[in-house]
Amino acid sequence: MSSCGNPSTESDALMSRRPKFDKSKHCVKCKVALGNIVIRHAVYCKECFFSLVAFKFRRALEPFVNAKPDGPRRTALKPAGNLLLGFSGGLGSTVLLDLVHRSYIANRKDELRRDGGKDHPRHDKVWKRVIVCYVELCDALPGRKDKISEVAEAVAQYEGVEFVPLRVQDAFDPLWWRCIYGEDAVSQLRINLENDELTSMLTNPLSTNPLESLRSYLSSLPTSTAVCSALHALTRVLLLHTAAETDSSHLLLGTSLTSLAISLIRGIGQGAGFNIEQEIQEEWLSDIRPPNFDSNDRANENQKGVRVIRPLRDVGLKECAFWAWWEKLRIVGEDRTGWPDSRQEIGGLTKDFIMGLEKDYPSTVSTIVRTCAKLSPRGEVSGKCVLCERPAQEGVQEWKSRISVRTTAQSVDATAPPLPAPLQADNASATRLASHLCYACHTTLTSRSARPPPPLYLSATKTSSTTLPVWVAPRIMRKVGEDEMRATVQEFLIEE
Amino acid sequence: MATITLSVNFSGGLETLFANRTAHTVSIPARVPVDAALWDTWPAAPESAGAPDADAVTMKPADMAYLLHHLRTRVLTARPELFLEHGTVRPGILALINDADWELEGEGAALLHDEDEVVFISTLHGG
Ligand SMILES: [Zn+2]
Ligand SMILES: [Zn+2]
Repeated sequence: MSSCGNPSTESDALMSRRPKFDKSKHCVKCKVALGNIVIRHAVYCKECFFSLVAFKFRRALEPFVNAKPDGPRRTALKPAGNLLLGFSGGLGSTVLLDLVHRSYIANRKDELRRDGGKDHPRHDKVWKRVIVCYVELCDALPGRKDKISEVAEAVAQYEGVEFVPLRVQDAFDPLWWRCIYGEDAVSQLRINLENDELTSMLTNPLSTNPLESLRSYLSSLPTSTAVCSALHALTRVLLLHTAAETDSSHLLLGTSLTSLAISLIRGIGQGAGFNIEQEIQEEWLSDIRPPNFDSNDRANENQKGVRVIRPLRDVGLKECAFWAWWEKLRIVGEDRTGWPDSRQEIGGLTKDFIMGLEKDYPSTVSTIVRTCAKLSPRGEVSGKCVLCERPAQEGVQEWKSRISVRTTAQSVDATAPPLPAPLQADNASATRLASHLCYACHTTLTSRSARPPPPLYLSATKTSSTTLPVWVAPRIMRKVGEDEMRATVQEFLIEE
Repeated sequence: MATITLSVNFSGGLETLFANRTAHTVSIPARVPVDAALWDTWPAAPESAGAPDADAVTMKPADMAYLLHHLRTRVLTARPELFLEHGTVRPGILALINDADWELEGEGAALLHDEDEVVFISTLHGG
């Protein structure tokens, strides 16, 4: 990204600077009030700003609330399950929680009181339960404060909202997993990091020190960028399984338009181009069944799907900040302490670039997101990645020979030569984790950096193998069958 | 020559650059030199001893550009690069003057008056 330069310094030479707003200082909506905020060249008064943001929020969420999309006639909102909100303490998720509360909890109560018409379907609560989940990262990165109680206080200000705090090391905790999926689903896998095929074996007995496992996992990653993507992936999968646990049909994330542009560009830079669609919206189905799951029960089957939605995808960080300021929201703050130096990390550079762009050319950022949304990835989906649970493309070996930025360029340029044939046939055996990973996760685990990152923890020594998150082993076993797994484990042990 | 007094608020983490205080009361000269190169040596209080002869330089009413300079040189306690970049606020930092977006008033060119309320909000750590 650095070669793109800083838009705020070089922009004047490249394009003529547009005025920040169109002539009048009056609100474009009501045309009466003096404006309070400029959003992509349009001036809004405070009141019209509030309804604009609330409208954008509902427009991005409500068409996806019902299991089947509405026909021409709009029907009542009837989600298949509860609502889980992923809360980071940052600006986006703080505003999201405020919007969810004002749209589906506070307003409904007022309506009920006003008309007293209890039986009218319009007055039914849309979501039976609204659950806020926060994943604490303080044990993963040095120098951070534990903010669980601070977040709990902030969430407690909203009536009718439940709070579920997690710690990122829960991803390595067999007890946490057992609570959701039962005893049978508990197993653990260690991978050998010394080869790119990532040979793996079941651990026995289970490693019951999740914090130690987490730290050894993070310490084994080759670059700072890898540590960042690993933490993002762990958080995301923890939220997905919490959605399954709480019978939530929807998981809402507070990703703003600005953050979405940043993560889309970062994702492409890190080889996750295949997952652009998932970055915008995805439907996730847990392939591990909870113990009480009745496969004959159709309704139950539907309920296990989780829709991941980013209702602030059209709302920029500036709008979020003004909303929070005017609504006097308390921002706990997303703590950046302890993250690998953001200037070196791809995400940090991308962020600087997008923020600069948004300041001087505020319409460009939404163009980026719209353009990315139209890109359709090439290649067949070959199931989900066992580590991050996103769709993986056919054969990671083959995929390694493609670069996703090039893939997107080719979808525009039809005259480009066909993709090279796979470098080698995918003959990986069951225990070779590499063939069950998406490109981005494979890169996270194996890419070498010219300059290795400074050690995260002074105490942790680099080992040749590390324990994987609790969801990996059960899913590999489901894919390849337990017997085959045992057989290959034997083979692996003899080699030792 | 007079001074004007402003209430200046920092939020979204910016307060950590300003002695960990969110609310500040700031006094600046009502009129300042047009030439920004003179701001470094220009006294914050015009009546103080050794004040340069204001008649000798071209002056203008105090504006946001001058306030940013004043905040950086006299109020900021840490890491100026996290607040300013290329003579204005860093991308991702928003400003309001009397509850309205400073972009409506011309950003750096926005004129300031006695008792104005200025707010700076950082979105850099927003989710
Ligand atoms: Zn209006
Ligand atoms: Zn993956």
